[in-house]
Formats: sequence, structure tokens, C-alpha cells
Amino acid sequence: MLVTLSWLSRYVDITLTHDELVDRLSLSGLNHEGSETVDGEVVIDLEVTSNRGDCLGHIGVAREIAVLTGQKLKLPTIEFQESSRSVNDLLTVRNEFADACPRYTARVIEGVRVGDSPEWMQKALQSVGIGVVNNVVDVTNYVMMECGQPLHAFDAAKVSKKTIVVRPGRKDEKLQAIDHRDYDLTAQTCVIADADSPLAIGGVMGGASSEVTEQTTDLVIEAADFIPLSVRRTARRLKLHSPSSFRFERRVDPRGIDWASRRACQLITEIAGGTVASGVIDTGSSIADREPIVLRLSQLARVLGITIDAATVERILKGLGCRADFASVEKESTSGGDSSTLQCVPPTWRHDLTREADLIEEVARIHGYDKIPEDSPIPVTPSSKRPFDSAMSRLRGVMTAAGLSEAMTPSVVTEKIDAALSPWTDRPALQTRTAMLEGSRRLRRSLIPSLLQSRAANWASASIDAALFEIAHVYLPPAPDAKGDDALPAETYHVGMIIGEDFFAAKGIIETLLARLGITGLLQVETVEREGFASGGLVALKVEGHDETLGYLGLLDDSLVRSWKLPGKVVAAELSADLLVAWAHLVPQQQQISSFPSIRRDLNLVLPESVRWDGLSGVIRSAADERLTDLSYQETYRNEKQDGPDRKRVLFSMELQSLTETMSGSDADSIVESVVAACEKELSAVLMR
Amino acid sequence: MSLQNFLSRLDQLQSDAESAFSGASNAESLEEARVVFLGAKKGQFKDVQKMLGGIEPTDKRAAGMRLNEVKNAINDAFSAAKEALEGGGDSQIDPTFDPSLPGTRPTLGHIHPITQTIDHLTEIMGRMGFEVAEGPEVEDPWHNFVALNIPEDHPARDPLDNFYLAAAGVSSGDALAETGEGESLLRSQTSTVQIRVMKSRQPPIRIISLGRVYRPDAPDATHFPMFHQMEGLLVDRNVTMANLKTVLRVFANNYLGDDVEIRFRPSFFPFTEPSVEVDFLWNGTWIEFGGAGMIDPNVFEAVGYDPEKVSGFAFGLGVERLCMRRHGITDIRDLYSGDLRFLEQF
Repeated sequence: MLVTLSWLSRYVDITLTHDELVDRLSLSGLNHEGSETVDGEVVIDLEVTSNRGDCLGHIGVAREIAVLTGQKLKLPTIEFQESSRSVNDLLTVRNEFADACPRYTARVIEGVRVGDSPEWMQKALQSVGIGVVNNVVDVTNYVMMECGQPLHAFDAAKVSKKTIVVRPGRKDEKLQAIDHRDYDLTAQTCVIADADSPLAIGGVMGGASSEVTEQTTDLVIEAADFIPLSVRRTARRLKLHSPSSFRFERRVDPRGIDWASRRACQLITEIAGGTVASGVIDTGSSIADREPIVLRLSQLARVLGITIDAATVERILKGLGCRADFASVEKESTSGGDSSTLQCVPPTWRHDLTREADLIEEVARIHGYDKIPEDSPIPVTPSSKRPFDSAMSRLRGVMTAAGLSEAMTPSVVTEKIDAALSPWTDRPALQTRTAMLEGSRRLRRSLIPSLLQSRAANWASASIDAALFEIAHVYLPPAPDAKGDDALPAETYHVGMIIGEDFFAAKGIIETLLARLGITGLLQVETVEREGFASGGLVALKVEGHDETLGYLGLLDDSLVRSWKLPGKVVAAELSADLLVAWAHLVPQQQQISSFPSIRRDLNLVLPESVRWDGLSGVIRSAADERLTDLSYQETYRNEKQDGPDRKRVLFSMELQSLTETMSGSDADSIVESVVAACEKELSAVLMR
Repeated sequence: MSLQNFLSRLDQLQSDAESAFSGASNAESLEEARVVFLGAKKGQFKDVQKMLGGIEPTDKRAAGMRLNEVKNAINDAFSAAKEALEGGGDSQIDPTFDPSLPGTRPTLGHIHPITQTIDHLTEIMGRMGFEVAEGPEVEDPWHNFVALNIPEDHPARDPLDNFYLAAAGVSSGDALAETGEGESLLRSQTSTVQIRVMKSRQPPIRIISLGRVYRPDAPDATHFPMFHQMEGLLVDRNVTMANLKTVLRVFANNYLGDDVEIRFRPSFFPFTEPSVEVDFLWNGTWIEFGGAGMIDPNVFEAVGYDPEKVSGFAFGLGVERLCMRRHGITDIRDLYSGDLRFLEQF
């Protein structure tokens, strides 16, 4: 909202310097965005919050200055002559759309001479960024910038059958607005029409056909109230945001409508001549006083933490236009009210004042928030870190130690990224109505595609082997028939990671992570097929002792990798962070350390190719007893000439140790023998000696 | 004596001497071993050297060369053993050793600067008794608007300012497509978490909610349609705006590491009344920190609290702004690029 100092000074004395003034305004609710001098006028840009439509005119801002500086607001006196002809003889108004337009008022002025407006008015309008048109249009804009009520002047000669109809738009109806562009009207549009066709889009913009020109002699002055939601939807649909729509969206003063209409008549007849027909057409009902609000002074202390004396409270509220008095409560209250309770009737222009809390804010902001002390500590109370945060902090430790860097990528992705892979669900992704970035509408179902995109972008910018991880929500769509909270997506934290080439490097990171989180169950893999992953190269990850799938780990499909112009192989994994946290044991418990020496035995078994390590190690563990303290895989060899087809040699070491005694060589031998015997029997293994 | 015998005697001598020297556990035993092998009069080397006289003249040259090699080897073994016993010396190190060459660095990953900022913020607030709470990012309009005192005709609900989700089922039709609104949306503020916490718990409550929020801003150096918010909520009996100011000042002093001046400017948020913008005076300029205010009685009523009995405050701030200011980051888009050249700096 642009205001000029000279315009403000018509309603209040500017007793402060510019810097003091903008500072006081900022600290009482009209934030100073900047100032400049235009043609000798000091123009101040103030930010008006959406609840303060009353400050979208110079008078509203002047009222704030008056109460801040202890002055009385000076409002212009409105005087003009009315002719003997009644407005009702010159015009009929029918309101058929009261839902969108609760009040429509019209006055008629006859015999104006349209021409340039006086220099002072042109200067005033230009300094606040309003274009100069002619003396009639300029007056309507001037009054809007004065009091915040938008007005519209029609050329009365262009109003067919001297009838104005406020009604919904009709099918296929169009209007050429004063910007000379055509706009479609719908049943939701509030149209100001004459007996035949639309003249204006109510609250948004006037039409070209009835605009005031040099030939105009008679005027219809519209001052109305349009419903914010209706104006906003229309303005948005038509992409037509005007100073009028901006003000109606923030609500106008119902009593100010008539004031503005009369003020315009006064200025038009002063500047452009003509006579005002007597009376006004008003489609609305009479405007009642606002409901009184009771303000308990004790509540000021309860909310603000300071006491403010009754006289100050009364001065502030009255200065803002409230009718405030202590006495009326006393009289009406049966329990015997006192001077600590005040009854306050807010002015009609303050739609935001309906409750005690609203009055407390008014008193506080004018009294000054600088009066509120900052040495009021809150009581001491314990707080602890969530297990989730502790677990994620350990996870970040493992990931960064493994050389992976944490990325954050957008949650809403393009169709291409979404379609790449979705190991967790087959349900289609949820979509936003408006695109977020570069056509992104889909709420991601997996973090891996975003990380693949990042890896590709890194490759293109010479970070050849970007190893990345991300901790973020994925959004698994709800069942189509879900209701209530179930209709929201299953939204859980996942950990995604992407590295190059080495499946076992990625698996090792996951194994280390599980150990670091105190998840001791064995990591189990189950080969699964999912789109986007190399066939046979993807496993679902489970942990011994838990039923749920912890996540997925696998080689990405070559064609997917190529589609991102990446060379080589890419390995990706995604784990459920929530399961990791649920399964974690973040407080390690000491395990007894054996004080007796351990014995290491290396074995080399020839096995059928079909025996996997998890099968072999399972047989070994169940054949050995608790003295097998470590089983480590070493190597696999293949030598078809010696061992025959579909056979492989697997080398591994066993560490054997007892908690209670020194193991002898023959103790170790007997364990090895039972392991070998079990492997021979169950896996057709042959021991190489 | 044949050359063959002579040479094998030499080999034997070398290996005996080397193991004797390296096996010596102290200076005395090393000296004894030296006398045994290298002694000027009765040393074994001298003995073998004397045998050179008995070698055939045609073999003498080969035998002499080998004798020299063994002599040097035994002397080297003695010096090495001596140095080892003396605790080593400069000469252990290869003279080409250049300690000023760069170290071999482990490849470490980097933690995202936003994570680092969030950790810092939660740690400071944790010391004041605030615990972290989280909630879903996809919300219904009740949590994102209604319970936060944002009525249906409020501009904050505008589809231009929110990411509404399209209706999922095609069969059920999309009744709200006309207005652009929807049954669910990506939350535009983390205050939704406060509603969920208040709905499920009774005061006193002291939480901070953190997470991603979404608003359809066109991306530029300071705007991104996805960003992080931290919101604090304190509800108890007798909570005042003076408490709010105090908590925020303590926070600012902690975060900025200085005695920071703080000021409130009136503002408007539907879920607080009074509502203020909070500024910090830092290095001589007022910096916008975030919004704050006393919880609106309507919000308390929406979650079933009695506004006559409890009071509370809330504040919210953008994590990105604090992060960028702290690290001198000038373009918010870098945070979400996944670009290692950026991430590696933190």
C-alpha cells in the first residue's frame, strides 16, 4: 500500500520525522517496505496484512498515526447539492445475486463535463501509482485511495433501459473489460449488467461499453460490497487482479460504502460540475452496530505479562474508533462489574475485531511490544532426544564414514522419475494439482529415482562417482476406498542410497549400519523382481526375527541407468527408517569376552553351484556349537577341470573359542569334523584337504 | 678346499651371523656375537677369510667377490641390530622420505547443511525443555486450516498458495477440481503437528515441530517450493508474551552466539492472537527471524482445551534462512541440487 506524506497530512498532522514515522508504523503493524520521493512527494510503501483491509486507504493509515501520536483524526466534511429529481426516477437496480453482492448502492449525477482532473489530484494519484484517465474516473480512484472503498462510474447513457441488474453470469456470456480484453463469464461470476448485457465484473473490473468518455454527461456511481471468496475466485479464474478486487478480498467497511459514494459525488460535482439526483438506491438492509466485546483488564496481564492502566486502554481503543466505556458494563452486569472490565463496540471497518483476544492485541500493539520485558524465564523441564533422532544420527555417522554424502531432493517428482521404479507399491503415485518444479506433480514412492537423477547430474558436472544418501518421507498411496486418516498416504521415513558398481559394498554398508544400530539378527536376502532393477539383481532385505521387509538392495536396470546418460553399473538401496528405529538397540549391552585363546580353522569345500552362502553358513552354524564365535567367508574359486561342472570351491574361516576353558586341538577338530560331516550330508560338499 | 665348500661355508656364516645379531636382546649379547663372528683375532669371519688361501687360483676371484659380499652383509646386519637395540635413529628412515607430502585421506561423506542446522536448533531448544515432534506432510484441510483458525474464505486456502492433491480415484470423480482445492494437500506449515500433538495430549506441552513444508513459490535464489520450518509450541498455565520474548531472546543469543537484541512487530497469523514478526538486531541490522504469537483461543477450542485455563505461545521460523545466513549460502536452490561440489563443503 503506497501512501504519500502530503495526502496523509490532510487527515492528521505529521509531527514525526519520516524515519520516526515509518519506525512507529512498522512497530505497530504497518511494516515499512521502503520510501521514495516521486516528483517532490514522499511516497511510503507499507505492508498491510490481510486482516487489515481498513488500512488500504490513506484515512486508515492516518487513523493509525493519529492514535500513535495522540491526535484526533480529521475527516473531510461532505457537502453537495442534490437536485429535485429522485434517483429512483432515473435508475432501477435489481440485485439477483445477493450471495455474491450483499449491498449495491447507486447514485446518479447528471450534466457533468468530462475532462482532465485538476493537477493536485493527478499528482496525488500518480504518486501512488494510479494512472490518470479523466476527472470522473480519477475521482473514483482518488476516493478509493482515500478511504479504501472501490467505486465505479458508468456512463448512464450506456445503461440500457436505465436498469442495473446484479446477477450471475450466463452461459457463453463474455465481457470486454476496460483493458479491452474479452473475459468469459460463468454462473459463479458476479456480473453487473443492464437490461440487455453485462456492463462490469462486480468487484473486479468495469466494462469497455459503459466506460466514462469525453462524450459522457450523466453518470451512475456504483458503491457496493462484494463477497471476498467470490471476488477472489473470479479474479483468479480470469487472472485479473485489480486494486478493487484486492480491497474486496480483504473486506470493505459496510458503513463506508455510502460515505465513499457521497464523497465521490462531492468531488465530481466540484471538479466536473453536474448535479446529483436526490437520494440513493441501496439494495442492502440497514447496518447494525457491531456486537459489543467485553475486555477484562486482567486478561491483558495474563496474555501479555504486563499491566496497562485503564486510561491508556480506553484511549487506545477509542482512538481506533471503538466505542469503549467502563460504565455500561457496570450498569448491565448483575454481578456488579467494575472498572477492571470494559465494554467495547468495534467500528464497522474493523472486521478483525470480534473477540477479547483481538482487543488485547490492539492495546498491545499500540501501547508497544517494546514494553514487554524479556527476562521472564520459563520453568525448567527435562527433555530428551527422540530415539528416531539418535538412530538417524548414528545412521548418518555410518553413511558418511562409508563415503556417502547426504542429499536432499524434492519430494514431488516428474512422471519420468516416478515411473523409473517403485519397489514398495504398485498403486499409482498421488499427484498435486499444481506442478512444483519443471512439471513435477507426483509424490514420490521411492527415494532411489531422485538419487539416480542426482548421481547423473553429478556425473555431468564431473563428480564422476557420486555416492549419496537421503533420509526423507515417501508417500505410499492409500487404498482407493480409504476414509478419514486412512485416506492420507502411508508416509514414512525411508533411507535411500546410491553408489556405483559394487553390490557388496552397498550390502556391507547396510550390514555395518545394522550392527551400529544394535540390530543383531542376521541380514537375510530374498531375490525379487521389480521394474527398474536388473533381473536377478534385486533382493528384499529382511532381518532374522522380524517379519517385515526392511528394504530393497539391488543393481539398477541398465536401460534405466543409460536413460540418465550414466555409464557403468549403479547399485541402489532403500530401507525403512521407521523399522530401523523400531528394531534398534541404541544402548549396547556388554558381552562377556573370553579370556581363553581362540583357534582358527580355514576350510575349503567343493559345493554344488546352487548352494548359496546363506545356506552353507546356516548348515555350518547349526552343526557347530556355541564355541563357533566367528564364521567368515573368504573366497570362491571355480575350477571345472578338477571339480566338474556346476561346482565351486568356497573358502571360509571359523574362529573357535570357549568362554570357560582353553580349547585343545582335538576339541577344534571335532567341531570341524561335525561341520564337514553336515556339509557333506546336507549340501553334497567335499572337503579339500 | 673346493670353491663349493668355501661358498657354502660363507653362506652358513652369513646366516649364523645374521640370526645371532638379530637375536641379540641387549648390547652385551650383541657384543659377544660380534666377537664370535667379526672378532679381529678369533672371529669366525677371520677363520673363513684365511681359507681363501687354499682356494684354486682360478676360483680365487669368484671366492674373493663372494667373501666381500658376505662381509658387507654381516656388517650391515650388525649395524642394523645395533641400531635396533639403540632404539633406532634417523638413519632408519629413507632419506627420500618427504613428510611434507599430503596425507592419504579417508573418503568421508558429508552431512547436509540443513541437517546440521536442524541439529543445532533442536539442541538449543532441547536445553530449554522443548522436545521434537513430527507429523505427516500430506494433511487434510482440517489440520492445515480449520483447526488453525483459517476459515474457508481465507486467502491462505487459495490453490495458488497450496499444493492440493488431485482426487485419487478416477471413478469417484473430482468434485473439487473446479475450485482447485482438494481433500488433502501438502502442508503449508508445520503448525499442523502442533494440532496433532494438542489433540492427543494434555498441557503442559513444550515441543518443536520440524520438517518439510510446501508452497508454490517460483524458485529463485531465495525461494523454493519446498523448505523446512521449525515451530515451537508451549502450552501451560500462566504463559505470557513476556515468556515468549524471553525464550526467543535466549534462543537468539545461543544461536548467534552474542548478546542479541530482539523486537516484536505486529503481524497477522490466524492461529495466534496477538501475532508478531520477530526481528533480531545482529551486526547493526534488524534481521527478520520468523513469526510468533500467543495461541488463538479458537485453536485451543478446536483441540478441546479451555482457553480460560491454559495459555501458550507458538513461533515459527524458516530453517533455510538460518542455514544460509550461517554458512554464507547465497542460492537456496543449491541446497536441493544434490551437487557434491556443494555438499562437500559442509
